[in-house]
Amino acid sequence: MNNYIEKNILPLVTKPITYLGNEVNSVHKTPDQEMIRFAFAFPDTYEVGMSHLGMKILYGLLNEEKDIWCERVFAPWVDMEEQLRLHDLPLYGLESMMPLNEYDFVGFTLQYEMSFSNILNMLELGKITMRSTQRKEDEPFVIAGGPCAYNPEPLSDFIDIFVIGEGEEVILRIMAAHREWKKVGGNRQDFLKMAAAIEGVYVPAFYAVSYDEMSGVITAFTPIAEEVPATIRKQFIEDLDQAYFPDKIVVSYTETVHDRISYEIFRGCGRGCRFCQAGMIYRPTREKTVPTIQSKIKALIASTGYDEASLSSLSTGDYSEIETLIKNLVCDAEVGKVSITLPSLRIDSLSIEMLEEIQKVRKAGLTLAPEAGTQRMRDVINKGVTEENLMDTVRTAFEKGWGHVKLYFMIGLPGETLADIEGIADLGQKVVNEYYKIDRESRNKSVKVVLSASSFVPKPFTPFQWMGQNTPEEFMNKQRHLKASIKERKISYSWHDSGVSFLEAVFARGDRRLGLVLEKAHQKGCRFDGWGEYFDLEKWTEAFAEAGIDPNFYALRNRDFDEILPWDFIDTGVTKKFLKAEAQKAEAALTTPFCPESCSNCGIMEFKKGWKCNG
Amino acid sequence: MVKIQYQFKRTTPLRFLSHLDQQRLFQRAFRRANIPVEYSQGFNPHPKMSFALAMSVGLTSDGEFGEVMVSKNIDVETFISRMNQVLPNGLEIITAKICDEGVRSLSASLCKSIYRIRIKVVPETDLRELSESIRSYLERSQIFMQKRNKKGKFVDKDIRPFIESIAVFADSEKDKVNVKMTLIYIEQQSVKPEHVLESVNNQNSTVFLIDPTIEVHREELIIKADA
Repeated sequence: MNNYIEKNILPLVTKPITYLGNEVNSVHKTPDQEMIRFAFAFPDTYEVGMSHLGMKILYGLLNEEKDIWCERVFAPWVDMEEQLRLHDLPLYGLESMMPLNEYDFVGFTLQYEMSFSNILNMLELGKITMRSTQRKEDEPFVIAGGPCAYNPEPLSDFIDIFVIGEGEEVILRIMAAHREWKKVGGNRQDFLKMAAAIEGVYVPAFYAVSYDEMSGVITAFTPIAEEVPATIRKQFIEDLDQAYFPDKIVVSYTETVHDRISYEIFRGCGRGCRFCQAGMIYRPTREKTVPTIQSKIKALIASTGYDEASLSSLSTGDYSEIETLIKNLVCDAEVGKVSITLPSLRIDSLSIEMLEEIQKVRKAGLTLAPEAGTQRMRDVINKGVTEENLMDTVRTAFEKGWGHVKLYFMIGLPGETLADIEGIADLGQKVVNEYYKIDRESRNKSVKVVLSASSFVPKPFTPFQWMGQNTPEEFMNKQRHLKASIKERKISYSWHDSGVSFLEAVFARGDRRLGLVLEKAHQKGCRFDGWGEYFDLEKWTEAFAEAGIDPNFYALRNRDFDEILPWDFIDTGVTKKFLKAEAQKAEAALTTPFCPESCSNCGIMEFKKGWKCNG
Repeated sequence: MVKIQYQFKRTTPLRFLSHLDQQRLFQRAFRRANIPVEYSQGFNPHPKMSFALAMSVGLTSDGEFGEVMVSKNIDVETFISRMNQVLPNGLEIITAKICDEGVRSLSASLCKSIYRIRIKVVPETDLRELSESIRSYLERSQIFMQKRNKKGKFVDKDIRPFIESIAVFADSEKDKVNVKMTLIYIEQQSVKPEHVLESVNNQNSTVFLIDPTIEVHREELIIKADA
């Protein structure tokens, strides 16, 4: 098959090199009967998937095991899909080019809801039976993890095993169980039982859900197999500093979305922004030490040849020793030669001077995320950033010669009024005014402020998990109002939402009944829903209608605090009580402090015995 | 500061690299191999490196040329062995030499390309007839082809001066032939082998079935030895 594809298929498609799996640092093994074959599947393009940190960690981790070969597979681009279908060739794992249905495991990472249709498409292209309960004995176990696994229910018809939380330790336990199972020689069901016994593992087939016939809400979620837990506890790595991180990462030939070393300096975030799911589910905050970061980045530069390393986290400026870290990195003989970038900076957390020192890039643009236009609204979402913070930052940036500032906002936040929308335009105006206050000699020749507003999607395990999303009409009106409120010619405004955030809201807080919708949408050809040119709301609307499901029930409905939510059986450590209290504080526009300043008892310290947050 | 000129092979596993991919690959390989590459000054420093030719996607080659400026003297054997340790399967440095700084650029030294092409032909093609038709094709003193100029407009261009020789041979696969073609560079310009085949097709009737599965291999790239 390899030779045939190389000679006859790849010359016909765009970016053929991305379908060969022969990149620098890709892992090739000589398989034998005992070897566990694992296909790590990213349900989006190669360029997007290869930018994903979690895949790099798990790829390295699994391949450290002599008897496991972890390979990669991405959603083939539409031209490659067409060729595969035309020649009736199966989707394959890149390194060995083995058909997907011959692996022991196919593991999907769930990064965003809009990739769900790609999962179904990849299963079909890989010739794997779509519904997990219909899979034959010799088919792969389809396993999934990542942030969207915190509400696994919309995918529960298609996934055999979900991993809830951080995968580094659990995945190895699942592999150990697989070795054991092979030795004993049990059937498919036996292995699923063994997996379900591992903490952090959810096997949907072992649970049943009942609904209220009138209202449609869930009345019960019950285990139907013996010895499976009623609650699934999320897993987290206690000692992140000692946790596995690869010294080698695959270096793509083509340019990827984040074409650089990405090194995670800490996990979790204690800011407590109420809209942010990552900030809640990745608790507690755990840091790597400065020497670990320094030596790992050095090793990665040597093994990859990249000229840029990014210090990643949910809020990089909040790293407790950020100044020492940056000083050490800049002074290091080897690391000093490459460019260090700091993504995810809060407006208040790092000085522009420091940014200027380390980012060896042109002063093209500065991106900041105030998220909301008025102080009241920022208090509602607990963003904890003030207008003064923003003005201080942009003033310094303009003084240093920056001329282009991009500001990110969300609209459709709870309790939002038209005044809050106008506040976004006002804030943009104030930023422009700051520029004109700077001496003509020292400022950039031109100024441009871009306001970018996205439609808010309420997510599970956040204080806003109960609220209904704004209707598409409300969004439209707010966008129009915002556009009309902008008078300044130096401000440009960008917005696009063709219904994607509505669909995202449906699947983010969906339940098992959405499996049918996904299946129908897939049959209609839906895929790459995150890509504007392929998203087709009409097909989705038809799929909902044919499945007899009202999407508004999921996206737009306000839930009662005591309603059973589809994801209630998962324990993230952050308690529902805390989330409720936060929701109530949001209503009163009361803020909650940053964790190191004062503990707000989110529950994570009680979740794991002996755990103490370090701030 | 010295200039290292090297010759390398590109084989099947990496034939799908684009020119940009290959540039990036070499930049990173130099860093992994600890070659002290010189960088340009300014806002966006670039490594001082270049290739004689941009290789098109799909092309394999037995002898491409590249050069790189290094800040410290490094002996060529070390250069070759360190590079070959870090280059992925599909790229290999064969020779390298240290050049004087004043030496003319690689692209200005281009002389000839010798290609071997495997291509599908229309069924029942007679090799002798094909050879004969190519012979008469080459007898013409001018061969015009529509080519896009820099502004994107189509203009007629005489491609005859760029063609030195074309010969056809049988292939192991019945529906394919082997074409050996020597093309000439004149003031850094030449013509693509696929275009020559297309132009042969245009003379009488279609023989070569030109599609993306064509295999183009450069057996040799000849550059002028410096005086």
